Amino acid sequence: MQRRHFLQAFGSTAALAALLGSGLLRPTQALAVEFNRAAFDARSASDALRLIGASAAEASKDILLKAPEIAENGASVPIEVISLIPGTTRLSVLVDKNPAPLALQFNFGPEAQARFSARLRLAETSRLRVVASVGNRHYTVFREVKITVGGCAE
Amino acid sequence: MSEPIKIRATVKGTEGEVRVLLPHPMEPGRRESSGPPQGAHYITAITLSLNGRAVIEAGLGTAISTNPLFAFLLNGVKAGDKLGVTWTDNKGQKGKGEATFSA
Repeated sequence: MQRRHFLQAFGSTAALAALLGSGLLRPTQALAVEFNRAAFDARSASDALRLIGASAAEASKDILLKAPEIAENGASVPIEVISLIPGTTRLSVLVDKNPAPLALQFNFGPEAQARFSARLRLAETSRLRVVASVGNRHYTVFREVKITVGGCAE
Repeated sequence: MSEPIKIRATVKGTEGEVRVLLPHPMEPGRRESSGPPQGAHYITAITLSLNGRAVIEAGLGTAISTNPLFAFLLNGVKAGDKLGVTWTDNKGQKGKGEATFSA
């Protein structure tokens, strides 16, 4: 595991020394395995799923995906995801029809609930896919979102 | 440095609700038939920390809207706790912000 240091976020060594001196700042360890950046460049959902190790994800009703059925503006589609699967450590979202389908991945530490809301960019009407990961086991749910911008709704 | 990160950190009972707005173009760029996107400029990583300890890490692609807005829930949060946010984009630019939880 690569360790990332919180420290590098601070520009000034003086500020750093002060913070270290006050004991407020300790190096922060990464929560989990690094993200696979190649997955974010994958051109198809199946490639992206393979690269995040979730090709064999099984369907689950314990992942809630709230998204509009029809969105007027694909540039900003609000979604909310809640995993009710105990021990969920990672949530990933894919937009199947986007040029690069993998939209985001979140790692959750013990203090964080496995849920979030976000706004996505959808190139066109597409299937949205959420993968919840519990260690190396993966669960998935999906939903279609229709995009009407440009008047080309089916 | 770009516009500051806007953070709202609210305590509700023992939960802490976090809303983060990151001013950023999140330009997805143009996809050629092969190779990386041309002209892309987007945030690739975000870390949220609670009192200096990482609690949520994000990896982002190009399918995130301009000026990304995220909301999260943390457990065991009390007023006065510190929430830190740092981000990095694909051009190596970085940003950070901090907020204090209040009821």
